[in-house]
Amino acid sequence: MIRLESLAACFQGLIPAWLCTCARDGTPNAAILSHVDYVDARHIALSFQFFNKSKRNIDENPQAMVRILHPDTLQSYALRLRFVRTETEGPLFESMRLRIEAIASYSGLKGIFKLLGADVYEVLSVTPIVHEVGLPRAAVAKAQAAGDARVPFTMKALQEFSEQIQQATTLDCLLEAILETLEKIFGFRQAMILLPGESPERLEMIASRGYPEGGVGSEVGFGEGIIGMVAEARKPIRIAGMLRQMLYANAVAQRARERGLCPEDRRIPLPGLANPESQLGIPLLVHDELVGVLCIESDEPYRLHEEDRAYLEVLGGYLAIAIQNTLLRERADEAEEPLPARHRPPAAAAPPPVRRARIEVAHYRTDECILVDGEYLVRGLPAKLLWKLLREHETEAQVEFTNRRLRLDKSLALPAFKDNLESRLILLRRRLEERCPEIRIVPAGRGRFRLELNTAVTLAERP
Amino acid sequence: MATKPLISDELANFLHSGLAIMAATRDGALQPDGAWAWAARVHEDRAHLTVYFNAKDAPGLLRNLEAHPEIALACDLPSSHRACQVKGRFTASRRARPAERAEIERQAKAFVVDLERIGIPQAMTDGWKCWPSVAIELRVTQLFEQTPGPGTGEPMR
Repeated sequence: MIRLESLAACFQGLIPAWLCTCARDGTPNAAILSHVDYVDARHIALSFQFFNKSKRNIDENPQAMVRILHPDTLQSYALRLRFVRTETEGPLFESMRLRIEAIASYSGLKGIFKLLGADVYEVLSVTPIVHEVGLPRAAVAKAQAAGDARVPFTMKALQEFSEQIQQATTLDCLLEAILETLEKIFGFRQAMILLPGESPERLEMIASRGYPEGGVGSEVGFGEGIIGMVAEARKPIRIAGMLRQMLYANAVAQRARERGLCPEDRRIPLPGLANPESQLGIPLLVHDELVGVLCIESDEPYRLHEEDRAYLEVLGGYLAIAIQNTLLRERADEAEEPLPARHRPPAAAAPPPVRRARIEVAHYRTDECILVDGEYLVRGLPAKLLWKLLREHETEAQVEFTNRRLRLDKSLALPAFKDNLESRLILLRRRLEERCPEIRIVPAGRGRFRLELNTAVTLAERP
Repeated sequence: MATKPLISDELANFLHSGLAIMAATRDGALQPDGAWAWAARVHEDRAHLTVYFNAKDAPGLLRNLEAHPEIALACDLPSSHRACQVKGRFTASRRARPAERAEIERQAKAFVVDLERIGIPQAMTDGWKCWPSVAIELRVTQLFEQTPGPGTGEPMR
């Protein structure tokens, strides 16, 4: 029998599969499946989401046949199956549930499009349908060779990754180093890191790479999209063929809307690619504490493999500890004295050319947000921080600041424990780079920074 | 009084539009089997269908159908997942006629074009062959909604 492992690509949800069953009265049934999950060398699992005809047939007659297609060649295979059990908890169920709920949340279907059970089947035989190969034969070997050539997680690559991470002395540098090395060493071109925000059960994007719009400050609630699901469940999620799975989910959403089961549009705008084909979300955990979420995306289907998930899950633990240690070290080193030269960051790049000769920065006290020339810039603690810096610059000509002084400033009302000041400052600095490059926050060593204004700034306090 | 046809004009147009069609049959031990169909033709009486398969699928299909005539067709438009299920009983089989070839290839081509809309390039499907074909005739007994989501599996009105 063909080994199931050799068909791993067929179990990524890239091409829909078909399930044939038969009722006890002899009536056959065929149904489309969005995903067939590999369980082990002798078992696969199918999602049980609705009490449909296939499910009723299986209850009566455990025999089934699944037709799958290899995504690289469109070679068709027939899997003869026997139903074994339905799992409603455990690692298999959780992994299927998280993927389905992540897709559901993109389609506004959370709570409707959900997993009721993971139906596990024993695979009795695997037969290639030799006359059903989509890719012309000459191209099949080439496609298979291309798939086999991919080996990103070598020991050398992991060593290099570790060295780059260890050199970072500040949170800002560390986040940059993570994203840069993910791209340069492993080839993940689009990635973002989200850290806990000011509101409970919300994450904010602090650093990203490979996106036309940086999106720093974009928020994701727990349970929203792949990032929110990863945060909620604290488990990695990999989706290999988003487009086709979204088509399936959108068809469900359309039917649900027609029946009044979900509102017209519950889709939530989330950071990242508009139409990703592959996504991998990794929780950054230290013990049980969620330090953040790393999300890698690609517009190529099946770009992110199960091997990537396994390696990045391990690296995620390492990155989480690195982030936590960097924060602790930054705070411990928050001295007022100048830093030794070796700890000083490289000189900041030259400021960008001045775009506006004068800007108005307005602080709205009630909404706790800042607008620059009428355009929203930032809100919450980053808004309070910027307002404080600008006011001190205006009244006292202050240009150098330390994190320690900000942390002790009662007007900012930072919590005594885990104030997230470092990540708020990074967020503020990056929002300024994106939206208002005339104002710059330039790191000046661990725990200190300079405020640079490259234009005339008018401050306006509004209710 | 004229009775309402089993297959409406609208459904007939859908079935002729070039779909992913999976035919399920079964053997004497209730073991299900499946085969891809490349095209379908609704008869004028709106109660019978001809479904076209690659001739290499014929032995397995006919082994089941000649002993157990029950057949189910799941018909799905990949780009929208609009889908229906046709239940029927096998009545006859024959080699597809040369005059039918153009229509079989038109529907197969329309299906491949729909796959391109969802990112499966035509170069990936050039190896699929729908000819020579075998024609399976069936009498339609029931029609079910099969677009995924709430209501799937309900009889079509």
